[in-house]
Amino acid sequence: MIIRGGIVYDPANGIFGEEMDLCIDGGRIVEDAKGEVIDARGLLVMPGGVDAHSHIAGKKMNTGRIMRPDDSRLGTEPRSGVCRPSTGYTVPNCYAMGYRYARMGYTTAFEAATPIIEARHTHEELEEIPILDKGALTLFGNNWEVMECVHDKDIAKLAAYVAWGLRAARGYGIKIVNPGGGEAWGFGSNVKGLYDPVPNFDVTPAEIIHALAEANEMLRLPHSIHLHFNNLGKPGNYTTALETLEALKDIKPSRMRQAVHVTHMQFSAYGGTSWRDFESKAPVIADYINRHNHATMDMGQLLFGAATTMTADAPLEYGNARLTHNKWSNHDIELEESSGVVPMVYSRKMLVNAVQWAIGLELALLTEDPWKVLMTTDSPNGSPFVNYPEVIALLMSKPKRDSEMATLHAELSKRTSLGGIERELDWSEIAIMTRAAPARILGLEDKGHLGFGADGDVSIYNLLPEEVDASKEHATVKKALATAKYTIKSGIVVCKDGKIIATPRGKTYWVDAAAAQADMDRLMVDLQEKFERYYSVQMSNYAVQDVYVTNPKVIKAGIGAEPLKEVA
Amino acid sequence: MRNIVITPLAPIRISVEAEILSPDIFAPLSMEQICGLDVWQGNRKKKISDLFRVVGDEGPAKPEETALRLEGDFSRVKRIAEGMTAGTVDVTGSVGMHAGNNMLGGKLSILGNADDWLGREMRGGSIIVEGNAGNYAGAGYRGERCGMRGGEIEIRGNAGAYLGEHLCGGNIRVAGDAGDFPGAANQGGTIFIGGSCHLPGAEMTKGTIIVNGKAKVLPGYQKLEIVTIGGEKYQKYAGDLVENGKGELFIQAGSS
Repeated sequence: MIIRGGIVYDPANGIFGEEMDLCIDGGRIVEDAKGEVIDARGLLVMPGGVDAHSHIAGKKMNTGRIMRPDDSRLGTEPRSGVCRPSTGYTVPNCYAMGYRYARMGYTTAFEAATPIIEARHTHEELEEIPILDKGALTLFGNNWEVMECVHDKDIAKLAAYVAWGLRAARGYGIKIVNPGGGEAWGFGSNVKGLYDPVPNFDVTPAEIIHALAEANEMLRLPHSIHLHFNNLGKPGNYTTALETLEALKDIKPSRMRQAVHVTHMQFSAYGGTSWRDFESKAPVIADYINRHNHATMDMGQLLFGAATTMTADAPLEYGNARLTHNKWSNHDIELEESSGVVPMVYSRKMLVNAVQWAIGLELALLTEDPWKVLMTTDSPNGSPFVNYPEVIALLMSKPKRDSEMATLHAELSKRTSLGGIERELDWSEIAIMTRAAPARILGLEDKGHLGFGADGDVSIYNLLPEEVDASKEHATVKKALATAKYTIKSGIVVCKDGKIIATPRGKTYWVDAAAAQADMDRLMVDLQEKFERYYSVQMSNYAVQDVYVTNPKVIKAGIGAEPLKEVA
Repeated sequence: MRNIVITPLAPIRISVEAEILSPDIFAPLSMEQICGLDVWQGNRKKKISDLFRVVGDEGPAKPEETALRLEGDFSRVKRIAEGMTAGTVDVTGSVGMHAGNNMLGGKLSILGNADDWLGREMRGGSIIVEGNAGNYAGAGYRGERCGMRGGEIEIRGNAGAYLGEHLCGGNIRVAGDAGDFPGAANQGGTIFIGGSCHLPGAEMTKGTIIVNGKAKVLPGYQKLEIVTIGGEKYQKYAGDLVENGKGELFIQAGSS
């Protein structure tokens, strides 16, 4: 396949809007190819989109679907052509996940949080998501074995457990959600800060995070720790954010990447002492990120309208349920986590929601280096992923932000700095924030760029980047991004003019990390006791079997493994 | 006024999804175009003219100047007058489920009975049923937080269970009895029940329910004074206190 004459944005390879041809053969970008010619003259061409943080599969997604029959009728599309039926808006069915991402030019998405014991369910759903390449991050932040290793300061055994857990879950990396808080929630409480001890374990969140970061680097995992802060969603929590980042400064990354990825920073950049004097502290956070190089983040942008909050941060969801009087699902996950789901509507009339909306944009616009901040909505917590084009249009257009702000609470301009920010992102920066950076941050060497050997994932939009002024013509930008002219996945045209025309199966990434045998032996003694005494399942039934991951892409890591190839 | 008459060609046994039977859809179309509209019967797509005889004045017209008359038995035809904004729909027989749902305006009158989900989530307009209505009249659909938000529903016979569940606004008037749990989880609006009902206003936070007959009142209601409305004496209750509710419930004095 040859893609002719597109205006290519491939920031990972230093290409910023150059007219060039791309060739794909055998599902990969190559120097020269024959066959189908796609006319992309003058059109915007980027690598296929990569979403590093989205809730797309697993038990809490399914709980959301069960709780929200009202949502399932919002996005119904009948079966047609190669497509099976779609349902849902904030909590779509599996098929819709694949079709809707592909329609926007995305080809890769990572599920953000899966406890090991529920990983089989996650993979059953991932298997049913068409087109996309995917993976799932594994939760470790409230795990009993983790906390015991942390208490004993036994990082080697912790690394062995992480390696074992990733293998058992067929997981991609370490996700930490409100460390210690999920365990405390089992007793109806929460941890109040980084140095508040976790009941019964005599460890602090700071110790858990630091130890998991050390284990992560000991195992040379492709991704860093992926962190959801303590005190998330509470006024005044920006101090917790800064404290946590400061506590991780001494972590030395084992690869050319960040030491910590902070997810949905919007929910952790709050000032004020209550919802009454709630204000944005995004400038402080962005300033910290600008001055330090060990951390990256994603926006977790909030948009007005329907959302479904779902997180392993169960105490947070209890607060949401009390605040909104809405439906609430609360879940205790054996020795590993707790979680919750609450439907949500973010309203333009609410000052708090308006400030939250502004914070996400401030974070992205005030962070100078686009490689440090990803465009996400923490779908479906801030807004479902189908609204990414709206976020991008807001980032690219000051007039759009202004006209939006004019419809919001008058007090908003006192609570945020958004009105004074002139910056408008360009296509290179957008390509970094939605393609190159997520791939680099996740450690996916074949994704997010168009160099030779990269996966043949390309998105072509019906937009002339050299003629369209994104600042003024933001409506055009939004429309073009919502329906890709072509989405090409591994060299196959899967979407043409916004219509899905092929549904190939994607790969599932997981990380197979090696740990020292002696540590693994010590670990097994612990685990056997845990399964005998506490778990509801046998150890032999615990791990995800290969039959649940039929198209795996295994990335080797761990002690003694070959040094990993660096991502561009 | 543009009059259009629709009659089933044969008795309908397999349910038809007929959200197109609405003045808004018919008004701008010619008769030929109307006859060519698609409807689903079971899992088969059909033309409207395969199932119904459609005769009437040639269009186009405005929806508010369009009158549909449905003659015969439509009890297996669902979603009649869905989302209509103006005009009138008169049915001489009974209608199937979801008649008048999401209605915004206009008038739907039914001489026979209505099935479940009559006028669910309607926001405006009026519905009159001469016979009985099924369950969930004026309610919100599964999982929805808000049912009917505006408009009027008048049922001259009896209503089924969950009348006006999640009601957020508008008026519902039932001449006969209502079933179990009328006005469950209400957040506004008014329900008048001419006859009796069982356990009205469970989890109601706001709104008014008046019962002219007998009703068993939930323990979450606080008994207040006797009041007179329209010459009749009613026992007033406040609740549902389970939800810290500020709803008002009136039961015919001496009946409960």
